[in-house]
Parts: sequence; structure tokens; C-alpha cells
Amino acid sequence: MKRLIALLLSLVMLLSVAAVPAMGEDLAAAAKAIKESKTYENTYNTYFSSSYASFNYYSTAYATVREIVANCIDGLVEPDIYGVYVPSLAESWEVNDDQTVWTFKIREGLKWIDHTGAETEYALTAEDFVDGIRYIADPKNDAYSLRVVRNMISGMYDYYWLLDDIDCELVTDKNREDVVASFDEMVGVKALDEYTVQYTLESSAPYFLSLIESSMLMLPVEYDYAMALGDDFAVDNEHMLYCGAYYVSEFERDKAITLSANPYYWDKANITLDTVEYQMIPDGTTSLEMFKRGMIDYTSVESEAYDSLQGTEYADKLLPTSHSFSTNYLWLDFDGENTEFKTFINNENFRKALLYSMDREVLAALREPVDPARILRNTINAEGAIYDSTGKDYTDYSPLKEIKETNYNQPELAREYMEKAIAELCDENGNIIGVEAGTVDYLPVCSFDIDGKLPVTICYVGTDDEEEIIMAQLFKAMMEESIGADYIDFQIQAFSGWTYGTVADPLNYDIYFDSLSTGYADPSGILTRLTTDGAENVGCYNVPEFDALIEKALAAETFEERLQYFAEAEAYLCGNGFVIPFISSLRGYYMSNSIPYTSPRTLYGNEKYKGTLVMAEPLTQEEFETLKAAYEIERDKALAGN
Amino acid sequence: MGKYILKRTLNSILTVMIVFVAVFMLLRLMPLSGYFPPEMIKETDEATRMTYLRNQGLLDHPIVQLGRFVKNLFQGDLGRSLTVYPKVPISTLLAEKIPVTAAFGLASMILGIVLGLSLGMLMVRFKDRWGDHLGTGYILMVRAIPSLIYLFFIQVWVSLWLNLPMVFDKDIPSSWILPVICLSLGSIAWYALWLRRFMVDEENKDYVKFAMVKGFSKKEVWKRHIFKNAIIPLVIYLPSDLLFIISGSLVIETLYVIPGTGGLLTTAIEKQDNNLVQVIVLMYAVLSVLGVFLGDLLIAAVDPRITLMEDN
Amino acid sequence: MEKKMPELNPLKFRAKVFDQMLSEDTGYSNYSYWRSTIRTFFKNKAVVVLVALIVLIILMSFIYPMVSPVNPNKVALKRTMWNNRPSWEHLFGTDGLGRDIWTRAWYGVRNSFLLAFCIALSDVGIGMLVGAIWGYNKKLDPIMIEIYNVITNIPSTVYLVLLAYIMNTSYLTLFVSMASRGWIVEARFFRNRILSIRDNEYNMASRCLGTPMRRIATKNIIPHIISLIIMEAALCIPYSIGSEVFLGFVGIGLPVDAITLGNIVNQGRASFTLHPYQMLLPTIILCIITVAFYVIGNKFADASDPRNHV
Repeated sequence: MKRLIALLLSLVMLLSVAAVPAMGEDLAAAAKAIKESKTYENTYNTYFSSSYASFNYYSTAYATVREIVANCIDGLVEPDIYGVYVPSLAESWEVNDDQTVWTFKIREGLKWIDHTGAETEYALTAEDFVDGIRYIADPKNDAYSLRVVRNMISGMYDYYWLLDDIDCELVTDKNREDVVASFDEMVGVKALDEYTVQYTLESSAPYFLSLIESSMLMLPVEYDYAMALGDDFAVDNEHMLYCGAYYVSEFERDKAITLSANPYYWDKANITLDTVEYQMIPDGTTSLEMFKRGMIDYTSVESEAYDSLQGTEYADKLLPTSHSFSTNYLWLDFDGENTEFKTFINNENFRKALLYSMDREVLAALREPVDPARILRNTINAEGAIYDSTGKDYTDYSPLKEIKETNYNQPELAREYMEKAIAELCDENGNIIGVEAGTVDYLPVCSFDIDGKLPVTICYVGTDDEEEIIMAQLFKAMMEESIGADYIDFQIQAFSGWTYGTVADPLNYDIYFDSLSTGYADPSGILTRLTTDGAENVGCYNVPEFDALIEKALAAETFEERLQYFAEAEAYLCGNGFVIPFISSLRGYYMSNSIPYTSPRTLYGNEKYKGTLVMAEPLTQEEFETLKAAYEIERDKALAGN
Repeated sequence: MGKYILKRTLNSILTVMIVFVAVFMLLRLMPLSGYFPPEMIKETDEATRMTYLRNQGLLDHPIVQLGRFVKNLFQGDLGRSLTVYPKVPISTLLAEKIPVTAAFGLASMILGIVLGLSLGMLMVRFKDRWGDHLGTGYILMVRAIPSLIYLFFIQVWVSLWLNLPMVFDKDIPSSWILPVICLSLGSIAWYALWLRRFMVDEENKDYVKFAMVKGFSKKEVWKRHIFKNAIIPLVIYLPSDLLFIISGSLVIETLYVIPGTGGLLTTAIEKQDNNLVQVIVLMYAVLSVLGVFLGDLLIAAVDPRITLMEDN
Repeated sequence: MEKKMPELNPLKFRAKVFDQMLSEDTGYSNYSYWRSTIRTFFKNKAVVVLVALIVLIILMSFIYPMVSPVNPNKVALKRTMWNNRPSWEHLFGTDGLGRDIWTRAWYGVRNSFLLAFCIALSDVGIGMLVGAIWGYNKKLDPIMIEIYNVITNIPSTVYLVLLAYIMNTSYLTLFVSMASRGWIVEARFFRNRILSIRDNEYNMASRCLGTPMRRIATKNIIPHIISLIIMEAALCIPYSIGSEVFLGFVGIGLPVDAITLGNIVNQGRASFTLHPYQMLLPTIILCIITVAFYVIGNKFADASDPRNHV
């Protein structure tokens, strides 16, 4: 119902915009008036909540480093304020018809700068982009998150594994130096001349530009400089070079980072802030308090804090966050030691019972107190992340659209499905057929006894993060209420530390909570990892139908066809409850002193400070709404003109 | 005495070695998957991970790893962090973090001793009167209220009330005040509590009563006998406390965002950064053995009745 | 000023009539150390009140969970039931999941109290015995110091993480990890104390008279430091609650639906600035327990000193 109303409302809005162009102009004027009425500052004070371990943009496991790197190392292209890709370090680019060969013309005359902001002797050339790939393609450099790029650029997969085999002494007839020297022939990235770089891909990739935006592995490097430093490369601000709008002028580990504007930047006209001061504030309460005291220009506002701010001077300064491509989902263990659960989870009816058992809006309310429905998400790939060439959203492809719009809060249905599952799997006395009583050993997480009878014992494992424990307790309450505590016995185990290696990978769980993120403008990023033998299928389900659809999608002729197959595959996986996505990772609200929609609209990468306008006082909701409405009209125009 | 010191030194080295080797081997019992953050396990395949482990030398036999570590140690190389600060040299990390924590530790230790002993003496001086009640009230408050609650209270409300910074900033001197006070709250109570206890015990002793009866001034007896005797059991902890100013408080350093060593060990263990863990363990083991040793020497030096030498 | 000698009253210096009975009675008094200690202890009005208060809290925490119909883990699925302010229905409000704080607090007190009691018993009991032997016997000193050094120098986090790796989250694990090293710390504390008193003349005399070491430790030294024991034991309770929070941090927490004061405090910490009242009841109870134990410990220490006996 809510969705319908929302749809109607947006339709009305759309119509009114079309019918009364004057209203759009009014908005634009109002937005302009707001912007002009403010005075702007030169420094932006913000914070980070967990420390930056290193700045090595190739070999860090911590995606947070991207927040800094996005501003300090430019890529080939970047989005403009409407999200359209425009030149960055590349002046222009070309792509062949099947979108496998991408050629970029690099800006001439740029130099790398160091941490004092001085120009170095190193020029920024096409070779630096080739060297970036050269650096990550060598297993000795320990590049992380390599899979996507390694499989995409032609020849890189073979090159990487050949070097690795030599290092393991599996291949002895080849010399490491010779193989490294043959990089240019083996791997599909070339400097055609000093300022032209060409990437040859394994398969058609219309989404390549979004990958450039999202992946730090596609950034350039000054190879000689990096190799000379070896392991010291980018361990701090003094051991790296910069080519972005800012450089890290000061770095105090676990404490503070200062970004200063690059005096030699190619797009200096669009730099609005001289300095960005980061300080570490791990605690949400502290950041909120410091925002109130005017010490920082931005703070996120958690759901509970939102309530407490009502009726204060800050009530009208709470702004809704815009989007998150990260999806929270429940992961199911199809091959665990808990035979009770294993028997049931391999039954479609039981999975559907789980699927329909949660009131997702209550879970969402933990993060978005006002309009929880806004952050519900039934699909793995996010809405608004992937579009086809006609501008149609990937999640609007049937049958994914139906999944997206299903209301999964149907306790009666959950109970019904459970009864069906029980009829299939249990005898009349409530004994689960083929399951013996015994002890389940999920150590180091837990161990517990099962009796081979109803209720089905379910062992949920989550981290001991405060919010996650609350969520787990809600799962328990919801599932036991809708499916029935007589049918399931939901046990919660909180596990601290890095859970993946101890919990998920060795299958020490029945249900596990995690998140997945759409990394670039193609569903393949996540979906190819979810196949039967995919890296992300840690629950060990067996889905030949899904695998077949993925195969078809990857072999598809056109991008639309590809999306269609992917949509069918994703709908199959979600609709049958092999994974249970339920909400996005979006955190509801924030307060800020900056004007929105003035810096590049980075969908897949991190925020850039280029163009950011910072005021002395917080932006109000009213101003925000005006600016947003005006921006959306302009954006529709810009996208239509594209 | 010289023989005793030599023996204790050898003993201490033995302790450190046992501790270090035990911890080193224990750490190698951890599962290999622990060397990777979850994001990385998801993003990589088994083979890539093994490549990484091999590059870091983590697949070698623990004895080989131990040998390599010891060899590098003697060349002044502590190795590089694995997961907490990937590839950052551990010596750099310690050089950055120890001075910050030590400065706070020293400041709060001095504050703790000065205020703690003064409070303790005040309590004895005015035993069963206002001074005693004041001190008892303070000690009870610190002990009874969960520290998380009053630390939070101090950070949020006291900082607002006194207009002090909420987080530490090395360029703002006033930002030192609250963390140092918070750090010393516990030790003030500790010193006051035990000084009072020991002084009261001492005051009741017959020799004190005798001295008083003999007509020594109260002040004299206090200074020369009661205080000196009561301080002895406290003195034994001084060297340890002094050495351990370099290990910070996890909670307070997190609250005030002090880039010190407070959370280093916990984080390192949590993220299975074995290179970092072993260095910190080694460091703490050395300091702590040294602390006990010095404590014993000190107590023997200040209290002539105590002899630690072997009876011949 | 010169004092005047008082005049002697000759009446007071008469010879007493010989009494056969009384002459036999000499050298015996019915003085009992412990009875006198208890008597001195309960003479103080404040002590009586505090002991009554503690007994009341303990009784309440054991009886209330038995008779109360409210499920302390009942999660509310309506957002409006979360973080409610105190009302008649929920005397001290509800927490972030709509659970009744009043009920949870009593469950928490019961569980924490039992846990703390076990830990105090093991820490102080074992610590005292080991410390007495350690402090008295010089030959044992180097070995004990070695054991102490090894145990205390392996940072607890290291073995706690390993312990968490092989054991479930349960009360037993929590107890084992909390008690794993308290005893040796206590032992060292007592040893240091004993070091200062073991060479007292009366002990030396006693040894010369051939009293066995065990007897000297139990009869001469332990009563002497009984005040310290009581105080240490009293401080175990707040300590165990504090360390529970820390242990949760390294992964030796309790099961999620177990309720202890440590758990409650830890869960309320995040929203402390927003909903301070949620912390009110657990903190008050915790304070009462700690203060009472401290005062009782102190007064008992005074009472246990024979010189204060009447």
C-alpha cells in the first residue's frame, strides 16, 4: 500500500513538473537564492570512525582507505554532479563496438606531487596506468580484492597465476624475470604512446567506467617510485605520491589527517575547499555532541539519537541520507552439522517460511525511525545502481520486479509454509525423519544438543556488535512468533572478532548475518560470486538453475539481454530463499554544514570534496528539500540530454 | 647482593623467554583464516590467500618463524604489522604511540600519587571525621559506579560544563586535562585507600603508642614511623607502575581518541596480527619482570628488616 | 603548669579476704576471638542497616525472578514499546528492545552476585592460602615468583582468546576466565604483606619454639591480615562486573539472553546519553552492593583487630 502511494505521489510530482515548467524555474531560483545567501568557509572539518591502517590503495583490505584515496589519486574518469561520467585524468576516451577495448587519452603535462605539495620529477603518463596493473598483477605485491579486475583484463589471470606457480615452484621451466618482462605482451593493457592507454577486456563490459570509479585497483602509480619503496609504499603520507585534488599534508595515525588542496591540480577552478581536516571520532555520541558544539561540520545521526533530538533546535536540521548499495542479508547453511536445520533448509517450503517470517519494517526502524519502508530491500543488487542503455533500472526487470515489490511480512503464510515443510519432513509424532539426536559441534562458536524432534533448532550466529545483537533478538522474536516457537527454537550466538574465517567459512552456523554491496554498474559483481561453486556461496547450496542463468547472462549478446538473465537468476535465488536480503545498510539521518549536490555524484566510489560548499551553520531540512527538488529537475534534464 | 642481582637477572631472562616462546607458539595455533579480514576472504580465493601467507612467511614451521624473528630482533628489526596496520613497520608504530601514552601515563601517575597520598593522609588525620568521610565517599564512588558510566559522564557533561574539549588534541593544552584526570581517578582511590589502611594499622601498633607515651611529638612519630612504615607495602608497586605508563587505558584512550597503545594489544589479538602481538607481549613481559625485580630491590632498600638474599 | 599529686584514699588499700574459688579461677577468661569480633562488628548501627540492606537485596534478587510473571527477555516487536520512559507499567522504563528494566535488573543482580561470589571465593581463598605459604617460606619464593611471572606476563587477552576458541559462551567459561589469574595476583598481594610481617619478633619466637610453619601461617599471619581479606573479597564484586564487560570484548561473553549487571551496563552504555534513566536502577543496586560491602569490609576489619575488642 505504501509503495502504491509512493508511486502515485511520484507520478503526480512528475506530471506537475512536466505540466508547470514554471515551478521548476521557481525551484531553481529558490535553490540559487539559498546558495547565494550563505557565506562559505575554506576548511571542512569532518571525522572518521575507524583508523586508516595504511594508504596503500592496492593492497589494503580496508575499503575505508578509499575515502582518502578518492580525493588524492584521480582515476581516468569521474562522475559529474549528476552522475554522468566526465573526463578526469583522461581527456577523452573511445570504446570499440563490442565494448572490449577501451582507449583513454591522458591529460598532458601533469606531474605527481609529494606530501609537501611540491611537484616531483615524475610525470603522469599512460605508463603509470599500465604500471598500476603491472603492480597488482604481481602476486608478490599482495593486492587485495583482485578478483574482478584480474578476471576482466585479458591475460591478467594467466599472468598472475603463472608468476604464482613460479613462486610456489610448481613451474620450473620458466624464469620469473622473463615472465615479468613479458607483461606487456601477456596482459591486455598498453601505453599506445606517452599519453594514450588502452585496456583490452576478456568480455564486453559496458559498465567499465563505473568499475574505474569504484575500484582502487584501476588507479595509476609511479612504478619506479613504488618499487623502490617496496613494502614501505604508502604506509603513511610521506611514502606516496598524489595526483588528485588534494594531498595528505599531515597524518597522525589513529588520530588526524589533513588534506590540502593540490596547487598544480588540473581542475583547480573547481576546488572550493583549501583544507579538509579529519579527526578520528569512533563514537557516534561524541560526533553528535561535537557537531552541536561546532567542532565538526558533519555528523551521522543514529536512530535513537534522532528521537532524542526531536523538540530541540536540531530537530529541523536532520537530513535523510540518500542511498546505500550495500544490502544486509541472511545467509543460510545448507551443509552444516546441525542435521535438524540441514534437513529443513534444503526444503523449499521451510525456506519460504523463513522468507515470510520477518517484519522487515521493524528491523528497518532500528536505522530509519521515520520512514522505515524506505530502506527495505528484497533484492541483492540495489535499486538505482544499475541501468540499461534506455535508463531502465535493473531491478525493474521482470521477474525481479515482482520480488522487489513483494511484501514479505506475512506471518500466516510463514506458518502455512512451515506446516507444509513439517508434513514433508516429519512423522506424526514430530520426529524429524532421518535425524538422530546428537551434539552439534560449531566450536569455537558454540556447541549444542539436538534431539531429532520438533522444534527445529536454529543456531543464529552474528557478531557481538550492539546493533547486530538487537537485530538478532528481533529475528528470534519475529521468527518464533510467526512460524511458532513450537516449530522452531531460535538460538542466538554472538561471536566477536573476525567472524568470517571462524564462523562462515567452516560452516559453524545455521543462519548468519552479512552484507553484500553492488560495486559497479553490473549485476555480475555480486551474482557471479553466488553460483554453486562461487566464492560467496559459503552456505554450500546447490543451484544448477541459477548457474545456468548466470552462464546465459555472461554469454548474452546485448547488455539488456544480459540484465534480463541476471534478473531472472537473482529472482530465482531470492524468491526461493537461498539467500534472504531484507534491508539496505543505509543509516537514516545526518546533519551537515555543507550544501548538498555540489560535488561529484559518486555512486560506486567515495565522496569527493571537489565543489563542496561549507557554511558556518547547519543546513535546515527546508533548505535541503528545496535544493533536492531543484537538483532532481536539473538532473533529469542532464540525464535526458545525454 | 651482587650475586642476588645476577641470579635474579638470569631468572628474569628465563621468565621472559618462557613467556615469549609460549605466546609465540600459542599464536601459531590460530587458524590461518584469521589472518584475513572477512572482506578479503570473500574477495579472494584460497590460492591467492596462500600466496599472501607464503609472502609473509607465515607458512613456515613455527620454529623457523621464531628463529627468523629472533634473528631480526637482534638486528633491530621488529617486523611489520600484518592486519591491523598492514605492512607498517612495528618499530614505527611503537615510536609513534608510546610517547603519547607515556606522557599521559606519567602525568596521571604523578597526579595519582600526589592526590592519592594526600587524600590518604587527610583521611587518617581526620579519622572518623569529615576528612575520612570525604575520602571514603570518593573511594566508594569510584569503586561502586561502573567506570564506563562516570567516564562517559565526565566526557560529555563535565566537558560541556567546564567548556573543555571532548577529544584530545595535541595542539590544545586544555584537552589534556580531562583524560589525565580520568586516568588518575582509579589510582587516587587506590593510593588513598591503602595508605589509610596501612597507616591506621601502623597507628595501632604498640611501638607507636610507646613512642607517643615517651613524649615524641605526634608530628614526629607520624613522619618518622607511621608514614614510612605504611608506605612500604605501596612502594613495591612503584617500579611496575612507572614502567607500565607505556601501556595505556583502552577505554579512556578510545573515549578521548588518544592515539596511544591502549587498544593496541586487544586489537592486534582480535585481528590476529601475530607479528604485532608477539612484539607487544615481549615488551610487556620484559617490563613487568623488570618491574617486579626493581620492586623487590626497592622494598629491600627502604625496609632494612626485609632481606631477599639467600641465607648462607 | 605543675600538676598536684592526688591524695591517696587509704580505704582502697585494704587487704582482700582470701577466696578459695577465685584463686582457682585465675588465668582463664572466656574470651573467644571470633565471638568478640562479631560482637564488636554488630555494635555499629550503620553496619546493622547495611547488612540488612544486603540481605534484602539478595533475597529480592532470588525471590523476585521466581514469582514474577514477566519474562525478562520478552522482546517487543513494536517500535513504540522501545526505550519507554518509566511508567506504572514499567517502573524503570524499557530498554532498546522493550524489555522491562526492573525485572531484568533483579535477574541481573542474582546472576552477577552468584558469579562474583564464586570468583571472590576462589580468588581470595586460593590467593590467601598460596600467599601465606609463599610469603612465609623463603625457599618457595623463587619458584613462586617464576610461576607468578609466567602467569601474569602472558597478557590475559592472549589466553582468553584461545580459551574463547575452545570453550562455549557460558557462565562456566566466564568463571574460569575471570578466576584464571585473580588467585595469583591476590597471592602476591598477601605475600608482599606477609613479607613485611613475617619477621616480626613474635613469629621469630614462635619459630624458635618449634611451631610448624603451617600453624604460624594459619594462626598468626592469616588472622593478622583478615581485614585485608575481607576488603579484597568485598571489592571482587564490582571488579567481576567490570571485567565481564572486558571479557565480552575479547569474546568470552555470556549467551545473549543471559542477564547480568555487566551485560545490562554494557548494553545501556551505547544509549547512555540518550536514555540515562535506563542505567539508573542497575547503577543504584550496584552502588548499594559495593558501598555496603566496602563499609562492611572496613568495619569488619576494625572489628577483627583484637585491640579493638572489649
